[in-house]
Amino acid sequence: MHAALEAEGIVVQFGGLVAVNDITLSLDEGEIFGLIGPNGAGKTTLFNALTGYAPMRRGKVSLFGEDITQLPAFVRARLGIGRTFQIERPFEELTVLENVLIPAFLHRARRSDAERVAWDALEQAGIADRAHQPSADLNLARRRRLELAKALSLKPKVLFLDELMAGLNPPALAEMIGFVRTLTKSGLAVLMVEHIMKAVVELCDHVMVLASGERIAEGSPEQVTNDPKVIEAYLGDSDEPGDR
Amino acid sequence: MRSGIFLAGLFIAALFYPLIFPNLLSIAIYFLLLAGWATSWDILGGWAGQVSLGHAAFVGVGSYALAILAGRYGIAPWWGALAGMALSAALAWVWGLVTFRLRGPYFTLSTIAIAEILRLVAIEEAWLTQGAEGIFIFSLKSPFGFDLFDRQVEYYTALLYLAAVVGLVAWLARGKLGYQMRAVREDENSSQAAGIDPTRIKLIAFMLSGALTALGGAIYGVYLSYLEPHDIFFLPLSVQIALTAIIGGRGTPFGPLAGAFLLVVAAEVFRNAFAEANLLIYGVLIVLVVIFLPRGLIGSWQHRAVRRRYARSARG
Amino acid sequence: METAVALLQNISGGILIGGVYALVGTGLSLIFGVMRVINFAHGEFLAVGMYLALVGHAAFGLEPYLAMLLVAPLGFFVAFSIERLVLSRLVDSPEQSTLLATLGLALILSNALLLLFGAEPKTMYVSYATATVNLGRVTLSIPLLLAGFVATMIILALYLFLTKTEPGRAVRATAENRLGAELVGINTLAVHSVVFGLGSLIAMAAGFVLMPLLFAIPTVGAGFTLKAFVVTVLGGMGSISGAIGGGLVLGLAEVLGASYLSTGYRDAYGLIAFLAVLLLRPEGLFGRTIKRV
Ligand SMILES: Nc1ncnc2c1ncn2[C@@H]1O[C@H](COP(=O)(O)OP(=O)(O)O)[C@@H](O)[C@H]1O
Ligand SMILES: [Mg+2]
Repeated sequence: MHAALEAEGIVVQFGGLVAVNDITLSLDEGEIFGLIGPNGAGKTTLFNALTGYAPMRRGKVSLFGEDITQLPAFVRARLGIGRTFQIERPFEELTVLENVLIPAFLHRARRSDAERVAWDALEQAGIADRAHQPSADLNLARRRRLELAKALSLKPKVLFLDELMAGLNPPALAEMIGFVRTLTKSGLAVLMVEHIMKAVVELCDHVMVLASGERIAEGSPEQVTNDPKVIEAYLGDSDEPGDR
Repeated sequence: MRSGIFLAGLFIAALFYPLIFPNLLSIAIYFLLLAGWATSWDILGGWAGQVSLGHAAFVGVGSYALAILAGRYGIAPWWGALAGMALSAALAWVWGLVTFRLRGPYFTLSTIAIAEILRLVAIEEAWLTQGAEGIFIFSLKSPFGFDLFDRQVEYYTALLYLAAVVGLVAWLARGKLGYQMRAVREDENSSQAAGIDPTRIKLIAFMLSGALTALGGAIYGVYLSYLEPHDIFFLPLSVQIALTAIIGGRGTPFGPLAGAFLLVVAAEVFRNAFAEANLLIYGVLIVLVVIFLPRGLIGSWQHRAVRRRYARSARG
Repeated sequence: METAVALLQNISGGILIGGVYALVGTGLSLIFGVMRVINFAHGEFLAVGMYLALVGHAAFGLEPYLAMLLVAPLGFFVAFSIERLVLSRLVDSPEQSTLLATLGLALILSNALLLLFGAEPKTMYVSYATATVNLGRVTLSIPLLLAGFVATMIILALYLFLTKTEPGRAVRATAENRLGAELVGINTLAVHSVVFGLGSLIAMAAGFVLMPLLFAIPTVGAGFTLKAFVVTVLGGMGSISGAIGGGLVLGLAEVLGASYLSTGYRDAYGLIAFLAVLLLRPEGLFGRTIKRV
């Protein structure tokens, strides 16, 4: 049995800056894996490396045992890697439904079939009531839901969520936590970057802490939040975990 | 849906046009071709978002393929047109492979450069094209006894061409490829996340766009029956095709058609005032459109209609 | 020996015409560097310059070089107003919008020339049109020499303006960082208008100096717009020293290509170099550019 996603010794460099240094992680079906760390720690960069958007210096990524290190982002998406972007990127000229239709077309060439997949994703992400709204007009919370719905209608096996909860008000946050929790029931593996500790503690089975590209701690959410190294890493940073 | 019925009505009306205006066929043929080219251009420029100012090259390849094959080898014009389309698709494929890594305006600049180089080739390689002297199309095989040089036959050919291109684009727009092209236009990274290979989609759009433009070029060649590199591979023709689509509304099935209608009518109205300076209208309209209606005429209208429809449905 | 002389002859001709290309490219590069506008109307301003020289010559019997000084304020004002009227409304629009707007301006300008002056080629006779001077066994045409010389002087003047004067510093600050320039109190919108006026005036000046060498037709601009892009892409978009190098490369490529390869493809050599640089070295032949393609 292979893990859903395995990454070994990932290194990403921008010029002289080592943004991600020798990170190894593994994630099983149905697991929610949290990635936390101060701003600029390299979390988004690690996501980009794993999903095919940032060139890796070294390392190996495999999906259910299959080596995908050399594959471009769109092929990884076809193989089952879904992702959201930290800065949401709806297709602004299109409506919400049309946005979600685009990834749905990946497995369904017929429009009526694709629409069915898209509607399911809209329901799962709680934005079906806005299906016909132009996506450029959505507020932040709904843009996040759209981002999630787009990733879901790809029918992914591993889902990457980059700060999906940041900036949401408490009711919207609670709803979003609910959406993510239901996802793993069907065996989906979730890797999430999150600053909101409430979401991390409630959702994650396992957490890794990154600072300056290095892994500084790993374990259950409780272990990690009580780790003095982690508290120290956050002290120099105004962006305290849990204060947003 | 409603626009579909409206267009079917227009098409039927257009069938009777030669009976009502038998003396105004040339301008109608020109309109039909311009609308067809602009709609073809829009597959790449509007739907896939890659603005080309080199589409006259495809008009050239289409018309020259027909003329050379018919003149030298007596090959039937429909095979010549098909050959021109295939050649154009191949050209678009190579062209796109080389230039699609360029971003926005640099891609546009590269299309001008490539089309200009092809124009020089058409002038210089006289063994193939008879160079600056030009090439006559004087006899063509007649399908079912129709004389292809008859203006009425040309009119109906051009009408079928336009109907086919607009129909194809309207159909594509609703389906997978149409949405994939829009996704690539809006954001290449997001479209990759949706499993789309942006380069592949742009290549498909370019090849379709080039081949359909070449088909119109073949009809144009027969209509002119005399081809000269300076007229056919003409930068202003490329500009005209692009601006027609942009003024009418990029990325809408009927925008380029509306643009062609507006521009041909305007050119007629101002014909006496402007004579050869008819591109002045294009210049004035594109400046106005860019400033006041960046989505073009139909594009802006459609944009507002979507919002209105949503607002109405949200209310109750 | 003969071939060596011919080569020298070609090289000197290429350098001189390259100087004029450098001038045209400098104007385009200035506009791009400061305004981030891909200006498709640049060559049309050159055409406007040719016709202004023609009118000045016909109406007042002025030498094109004298006409240049007298008509410069008018030319500047025209370009300045166009910027105010059209481009200033598009400062925050995508690059593609300004590209299309300048394409529209190009069509308006060239067709206005067509309406005013007709389609026939117009020439201007100056007494020294065919005069030459001999340097050893190399013969140089006086109008071409003058053109190269004036182009050099104008580029030098622009350089001094940008580096040594207060307004020049404002222009450079705006190019560097528009928001930052606003913060230190520079009216960057005014800078844009002035820069567009100056850049276009430079194109018109190139039209003036070319007038004794070429004939004017209303559509002459498009070709020069393309040459200007070739020059700036060769040299790196937005770089003035790059435009000088790019102009010389283009001038030499055209003259040498036409002599030793094929005359008919004269205009193709620059375009091929342009595509090669765009694809292989988007920062230009001579190093850094402000923004990657
Ligand atoms: N494309 C890039 N080029 C250069 N540096 C980058 C790039 N992307 C990110 N970085 C740098 O890498 C580091 C990690 O950034 P990022 O992964 O966005 O952090 P996080 O998501 O943890 O806040 C930062 O120092 C950032 O400036
Ligand atoms: Mg981040």
